[in-house]
Amino acid sequence: MNDEIFLNEQVEVVAVFRSSRTMCEPVRFRRKNGREVEITEIGLRHPTKQGTRTVHVFDVTDGGADYRLEFDSERLTWRLVMEADHV
Amino acid sequence: MYNASRPLIMHIDLNSCFATVEQQARPRLRGRPVAIVNRRTDTTMIVTASYEAKAVGVKLGMRLRDAKKLCPELIGLESDPPKYKYVYHQLMRIMSDYSAHVRMKSIDEGVIDFSESTAALQGRDLKEIGYEIKHRLWDEIGVAMNCNVGIATNRFLAKTAASLHKPNGLDVITHENLRETLSTLALEDLTGIAKANHARLEAVGITTPLEFLDADETTLKKQVFKSIEGTNWYQRLRGFEPDKRDFALKSAGRQFVMDGYRLPYDTVLKRLHHLCEETGYKVRSKGMVARGVMVYARTYDHGGWHAKYMAPLPFFSNEAIYEHAKRLFDGAPDGIKMIAVTCYGLEPAGRDSQLHLFGDELARERAVTSAVDEINGRYGKRVIHSADTLSTNERVKEKIPFGSTRYMD
Repeated sequence: MNDEIFLNEQVEVVAVFRSSRTMCEPVRFRRKNGREVEITEIGLRHPTKQGTRTVHVFDVTDGGADYRLEFDSERLTWRLVMEADHV
Repeated sequence: MYNASRPLIMHIDLNSCFATVEQQARPRLRGRPVAIVNRRTDTTMIVTASYEAKAVGVKLGMRLRDAKKLCPELIGLESDPPKYKYVYHQLMRIMSDYSAHVRMKSIDEGVIDFSESTAALQGRDLKEIGYEIKHRLWDEIGVAMNCNVGIATNRFLAKTAASLHKPNGLDVITHENLRETLSTLALEDLTGIAKANHARLEAVGITTPLEFLDADETTLKKQVFKSIEGTNWYQRLRGFEPDKRDFALKSAGRQFVMDGYRLPYDTVLKRLHHLCEETGYKVRSKGMVARGVMVYARTYDHGGWHAKYMAPLPFFSNEAIYEHAKRLFDGAPDGIKMIAVTCYGLEPAGRDSQLHLFGDELARERAVTSAVDEINGRYGKRVIHSADTLSTNERVKEKIPFGSTRYMD
């Protein structure tokens, strides 16, 4: 299968809110180990429901690996939930 | 005589939908062979393959392990239904901008019926609208999202047109190019002509779509299909519309392929219980109650088994469904590979006005069930469920809903 690592890591994110396909665009995030990831493309943003809470899922890439970030619109938190490297 | 009216039915089909959505979500997968599976094992079946994978012979239904022999660089991904549902809703939103008469046929295809209101066209050509929808998919979902558009005078020919040039085609079938188009196809290329119908047609010497088109109505009705379906095919092939109808919700259910080889009976029962809970929620979410339960099992030796029960009074709670299903399941064979639960005889809740001997008990069951549904609706699916299914949450995951889109809200 594909090399996917499932995580549940709170990350610090720089995001831009503007009129675009995804409306909210994470541009960079810093992981717990201090590593910074520069996002080069947002593949898809889709909302998911956790009860009445909306969590926005961002599938992004830095050109070297794919990442999945989740933004909890109620708690205003960002989590890195998946890293994939299928080279 | 063919239908010579203006083609006003548009069929839109997302190309290799789930694989394309994954390629959209993960740019590094674009241009690479991708297969979507429902479970992270090598023995699982492929649900969708990208065009790059199809080009080297990877087919739907093939085991991932076998597909990797054909295409070693194939990337297997587990399906992600919320992502596909989002794209489905985006497609429906875009289509609904052009007409109020939109019917989604499944998670990856839908029909716009402009014949209901040509005013919605505002004098525009249907091909122009088709190309515009393609561009909107790129702009509003992403650049990897391609679709096929088919335009014709009825649903069947519009779907056929949408399958002519994959991926990313746009074709129109009219009474003028109907024969020419059908001459390029094989019988199995026609939607609705699978093994059984193919054999029926072959039995009377019909081996090509053109011969099918040239067959007279009586032959199709009396000899081939032996029902009104013969007349429907006669009309369908000529561009007339026998398929414009909605079907009432009659049944709801869920199936599950076992997550282990020859699991013990108690473990299988827990999965059955889980399916009953999900089926019960489906039935109630549509404001219905059920009268019957059917359980089905397929064994490792490819044998099928089923049992059903029609209750004298309607029921709706997870417990009631499981109670019936469990009793029926007593007779199930050993070596179960797949199980399914279906509630049938659905009717709107509250229609039963008869006074019950155990009315208080029924009212209590109704109150508890609706309270649990409300809590689950607020805090998340299966926040409250039976203790018996505590261990099944991670195993019996949500899968891609093929066919009906009734539960896509």
